[in-house]
Amino acid sequence: MKGKSGGKDFCGFALPGMFCFFAVVIIPFLYGVYLTMTDWNGVSAVKNFVAFQNFASVLKDTQFWTSLLLTFKYVIFVVIIVNILAFAIAYLLTRGIKGQNFFRAGFFTPNLIGGLVLGYIWQFVFSRVFVGIGEATGWSLFESSWLSDPNLAFAALVLVSVWQLSGYMILIYVAGFMGLNQDVMEAASIDGATGWVKLRSIILPLMMSSITICLFLTLSRAFMVYDVNLSLTAGAPYGTTEMAAMHVYEKAFTSRQFGVGQAEALILFVIVAIISGIQVYLTKRQEVEA
Amino acid sequence: MKKSIFSRLIALGVLSALIATASTGCRFGFASNPDDPNEVEEVEPIDTSVDTFAYDPSLQGTSITLLNSKAEIQSALVEMGAEFEKKSGVHVEVMPVTDGDSPYTKVVSLYNSGNPPTMSILDTTDVIALAEEKAADLSSEPWLAEAEGYLTEVNGKVYSFPLCIEGRGMIYNKAVIETALGETFDPASIRTLDDFTALLDRLVEAGIERPVSLAMEDWSLGAHHLQYVYETYDGTSAGAAEAIELLKSGQLDLTSYDRMSQFLDMFDVLRTYNVAKSDPLGADYDEMAIDLVDGKTAFWFNGNWAWPNLEDADAEKDDEYGFLPYFMNNDPDDFVNWQIQASPSKQVMLDGVVATEQQLAAAKEFLNWIVYSEIGQQMLVKTCNIIPPFRNNPYEPSDPLSRDIYSHVHDGTAFNASAIVPNDHWSILGAAMQKYLAGRSDRAELIASIEDYWAQQK
Amino acid sequence: MNNASIGGSKRKMTNALAMTGLIIIFIAYMFPFVMVVINSLKEKRDIIKSPFSWLFTIKGLSFDNFVKAFTQMDFLNAFKNSLIVTVCSTLLVTLLASMLAYYIVRHNNKISKITFALMVASMIIPFQAIMIPLVSIYGGTLNVLNHRLTLIFMHTGFSMSMSVFMFHGFIKGNIPIALEEAAYIDGCTHTQTFFKIVLPLLKPIISTMVILNSLAFWNDYLLPSLVLTDKELLTLPLSTYSFYGTYSADYGTIMAGLLLCVIPILILYVILQKQIIGGVVSGAVK
Repeated sequence: MKGKSGGKDFCGFALPGMFCFFAVVIIPFLYGVYLTMTDWNGVSAVKNFVAFQNFASVLKDTQFWTSLLLTFKYVIFVVIIVNILAFAIAYLLTRGIKGQNFFRAGFFTPNLIGGLVLGYIWQFVFSRVFVGIGEATGWSLFESSWLSDPNLAFAALVLVSVWQLSGYMILIYVAGFMGLNQDVMEAASIDGATGWVKLRSIILPLMMSSITICLFLTLSRAFMVYDVNLSLTAGAPYGTTEMAAMHVYEKAFTSRQFGVGQAEALILFVIVAIISGIQVYLTKRQEVEA
Repeated sequence: MKKSIFSRLIALGVLSALIATASTGCRFGFASNPDDPNEVEEVEPIDTSVDTFAYDPSLQGTSITLLNSKAEIQSALVEMGAEFEKKSGVHVEVMPVTDGDSPYTKVVSLYNSGNPPTMSILDTTDVIALAEEKAADLSSEPWLAEAEGYLTEVNGKVYSFPLCIEGRGMIYNKAVIETALGETFDPASIRTLDDFTALLDRLVEAGIERPVSLAMEDWSLGAHHLQYVYETYDGTSAGAAEAIELLKSGQLDLTSYDRMSQFLDMFDVLRTYNVAKSDPLGADYDEMAIDLVDGKTAFWFNGNWAWPNLEDADAEKDDEYGFLPYFMNNDPDDFVNWQIQASPSKQVMLDGVVATEQQLAAAKEFLNWIVYSEIGQQMLVKTCNIIPPFRNNPYEPSDPLSRDIYSHVHDGTAFNASAIVPNDHWSILGAAMQKYLAGRSDRAELIASIEDYWAQQK
Repeated sequence: MNNASIGGSKRKMTNALAMTGLIIIFIAYMFPFVMVVINSLKEKRDIIKSPFSWLFTIKGLSFDNFVKAFTQMDFLNAFKNSLIVTVCSTLLVTLLASMLAYYIVRHNNKISKITFALMVASMIIPFQAIMIPLVSIYGGTLNVLNHRLTLIFMHTGFSMSMSVFMFHGFIKGNIPIALEEAAYIDGCTHTQTFFKIVLPLLKPIISTMVILNSLAFWNDYLLPSLVLTDKELLTLPLSTYSFYGTYSADYGTIMAGLLLCVIPILILYVILQKQIIGGVVSGAVK
């Protein structure tokens, strides 16, 4: 696909997709960036240019930085657990074990439950099932609802996010394993590569593109966690589990400081962009081309 | 008949699909019981035979929209709109705001899309935020006279139509108290915090171990509990506003403000008798309704909006539920100890920016129809199950909680004060209240966070 | 001989261990969904009081929630709307994204690099940050809200970046350039090569992306709620609004409504899953 007809290729292959993307994502985003420099409250007819005043207010919003720190902690747990778990499960599900279709359908179900129902069901699990286990066994860990203790509520958030995100990542890892060249795998087995050796020197390098994608997706989704946060804890107990994205939303629409909220969203975006940029750069280098 | 077979077939298809796809692998007990006759929702009949309302024929064919943020009356409003269309020829499209996004966010995004609703049902704070910029002036509408005392003014002008009165306090289950104590219960006999505590102690002795349900949700703690501090300043909305102004400027010292400590005295009593005392932040809201109906508890701090929850928990419309005041001290003559808080909550705002003259006139006619027409009056009370703030409306609400608020309002045992606080008040101070409820902070820390919050508001 | 049998039994051991672990995790994963299924058949009081009790121990099986959800949601109309929007958006994004990704992989020029970097970065934009600008541009300035086409266009635009990212990774890792070169030698044009050689090889990733994208479009709430206000156009998630109250939620109906909404996605998943496996099995000698 190289050579003279590059321009024609561009119009036919690249342009339609790029147009959709720029029109829906980039242009509104740039307009949003402009709004962070105004004192617009979302409603008024006039927008006064205030330069970086909103960013100065962000610096003073201590709750934002607290929630950002908490988000970092959360992201580390979620990214590591989700990827190890999803990779392992996807590996097992593509080895031709009995009933693997049935299993795959089951691991798909976390994708089907969202919104209020998700929060409701899991609240049940934490405040009833766990407490029930606590009563039966006397374990102090399950004595009272996890959602009423700051640390355990955080753990609950991680647990539910792992459940939901890994259901998604399993799909991608399964597709990755399916795409592996069976000849290479068999050749490796014949050459006597087994277990860890096979995993480290054959499977991991070949799966690197899936890993890049999954790491990136878990990173960005974990940083922007909102739905699970809102429906499971809504920041409770006493505001200790409020993550960055939820804080941004509350700032813009509950506290009605639209410009400050928009500026915080922008800062969050820049941080995540830098971190995931580094991640993509590092893991892409490990990828092998077929 | 046909319809019921059809719906059963669908349900059966759904079930088999579920079993096939989810393969839960378990037995299903096929005990599909015939429909319980009690479950048929009773619809209050509306008498449409008399209608003396004068409709403006020139408005026929106009189409207006109504943004509804009171989800529980969504289907009732649709019905009302249809009835109004039948009579006036004006089409009312009812648009819902769901629980997930706030009414304010929805209105803001609709205004930005250049397609705002002709009428919006909003909270008072939202109306005040939008009034001068977006709303139509309603100061010369005839219904103002019927709603005296329930109007919200912004710089001397009225921009909103008060849709309903809502009240809150300690909901009691009369039957439970009477069974436990073996005597008749007269709510009016409880006039002080000590009376209330003594009653709770007797209930404990009678076997109701912890007789109070206390919701842990931030909107309950931050708005419905804490706002008593402002609303009891002198029992009026103006007084509440004054208290807030004093707080903002730092002239009202909460440490020495008697309503603050009195409020916490009551809150401490509720904490002590809380059914979820061992894990107050693990309390489940829906379970509280069931506990109150079943008699596991005798009190639940909530408002008349809690009726659907009680009804879901199998309470009947002729059961006796009612409100006790939020007792704050031991002076039986202090109004807080014998009056229930009840004030207008949801407001209807008319768009004054995009709507045409014709649409505005149609919207105004719709509001007048609610206030003055026989059908509108009935539907507001019976179909929407709302306590009307309009003096000329002769109908009484039918559920016990609204009925009790209604009679308090009419007997003069209610005080009409609603504090207008910034929109994030409930969430930020709700968190501080949660901390206090869980015993992780003391009075001094709670008061400090309230003062901090107000110091940041300009 | 001896060695092999030891290796075999050790392998069996690890297999059994892995299997047990898998089953335990599987049950944990399924649990919430099973809860939804069970509770969708109960009354609200029973849901709250005894969420785990099995059906025949309480008032019995009742389809009332499903009937209520079906009628209140105006299910057939909402289903039609969701179907149109999801199918069109999914087809469009699959086609446009695979072509764009193919272009980016095979043309290592400046435009490719910038576009790809922008797409990767854009996946991190919190939706809340572009929500208001988006409606002011498309509603206030262009006045094209309240059309299905607008929603389809926006769905396509928003899912473009992730889809391109996924296709990009797959094409780079799994599509040998030698095949295309052979096609050119045989006289194929670029378009022919893409549709006849490359696209069929993308089957596993297309199936995955179709599932992921249609799942997202089918279940999306926020974007449709901003674009569509006309009752006739509402999609399935939007039509469940009436089950949520300010202070109370009708859990039984919500769960029944949720199941009614997701069944099509489950069916799609089961169908496509066979496709993925079929594609791989036919390509492998094993």
